[in-house]
Amino acid sequence: MTTRQDALPPARANSTTAMLVVPCLIGALVALALGIYGKVHHPTGVAINIAGFSSPGSVKSWLATGATVFAIIQVGSALVMYGKIPRVTAPDWIGGLHRWSGRIAFFLAVPVAIHCLYALGFQQYSTRVLIHSLLGCAFFGAFTVKMLILPKRGLPGWVLPVVGAVVFTALVIVWFTSAYWFFSTFGIKR
Amino acid sequence: MRRNTPLITLLTGAALGVVLLVANMLADPSGKPASYSTAAAAATSAPAPANSAPASPTSATESSPASPAPAPATPSPTSVTTSPVKATYAGRVGGGGGSVAVSIHDSQAIAYVCNGSTVEAWFKGTAVNGVLIMTGKNHSHFSAIYDFGKVTGDVLAHGTDYSFSVPVVSKPSGLYRATAVVRGATIKAGWIVLSDGTQVGSVEPFSTSPAPTAFGAPALDVATGTARDGNIVLHAVAVDGATGSGF
Repeated sequence: MTTRQDALPPARANSTTAMLVVPCLIGALVALALGIYGKVHHPTGVAINIAGFSSPGSVKSWLATGATVFAIIQVGSALVMYGKIPRVTAPDWIGGLHRWSGRIAFFLAVPVAIHCLYALGFQQYSTRVLIHSLLGCAFFGAFTVKMLILPKRGLPGWVLPVVGAVVFTALVIVWFTSAYWFFSTFGIKR
Repeated sequence: MRRNTPLITLLTGAALGVVLLVANMLADPSGKPASYSTAAAAATSAPAPANSAPASPTSATESSPASPAPAPATPSPTSVTTSPVKATYAGRVGGGGGSVAVSIHDSQAIAYVCNGSTVEAWFKGTAVNGVLIMTGKNHSHFSAIYDFGKVTGDVLAHGTDYSFSVPVVSKPSGLYRATAVVRGATIKAGWIVLSDGTQVGSVEPFSTSPAPTAFGAPALDVATGTARDGNIVLHAVAVDGATGSGF
């Protein structure tokens, strides 16, 4: 009996760290894999494109703008859920709104990222482009972390808001360095 | 059950990404051309106009699971087209000793490098799969890769080697060309107008020569498209990748 007791870990490891380390590693690997693919794959300049838009740039800009709008809904619904909006009690559908706005934002972002990675690649020829490339990869890594830690019970209360804020901030900067730049350079067009 | 939904979201997104990536690879001319002939693929044999290639049936999948089940639904089947580059790029070469402009219209490309004086060269060629390699007169050579945002490469003209990475520009910035026959000689002038409004231009007084020389061009009035050199008025045409003008 005593030997078995000795075989157990000597002390309780920091359980928060333990719960976060694997998701963070996986997220980092996702971001790294995207970046390496974008760097190694020779950009084709051309990719299949959804019909009905004038150019791939405008398709991507509209999809990214849609993702950003749903991401703003994410932040709003999260604030309501956490009771951070004065005099607003969370309705019972707020969780569904939060989940579905997040899913939609993510699914809108995926085709944009694939087009970026396949046709344009990881680039660094200007500050805007470098920031966009880095955070574009980081966004999907951070989103992966968020999804992997969501089901975990017993995390400190600050973890999900912080990870969510990182995901949101990354997406907004990615949007700002691409779609905002596109619309302000070429005009708002389909 | 509920605890799995974030993972399902993640995997569905990943699956969507993989499907799109595979669709891209199938549509890529460097893969299996067959029925997926894009403009870039056609360009290897002959210049071809823009065409839309039918995509593989898997490519139009827009995923949105109605329940936390891994199978993605397809609410809005979207047809897909290839998107050849139609753009004009212009900017200063590295070091600022001149400018370079590239117009790409589907698979055709015209480029001009110019220092506003004797160093200049015209290039015409075929753009294939994001790569542009062309030769011009006077042993000039142009090699670059391009995407929807920029052209990056090197150009050698009159023994001067420039590297560059220049962005897409829109009118009135871009590349202009004028030709005129004066006393039996074909004059050819080119101007590169940058997005800050500055321009450089040169004139080849005997442009049909195998080794034409050049001198600085008179200023181009972008609004009217004319340049006056003494009593000769040159009427410039925009070499515009977006519209195909000047090709």
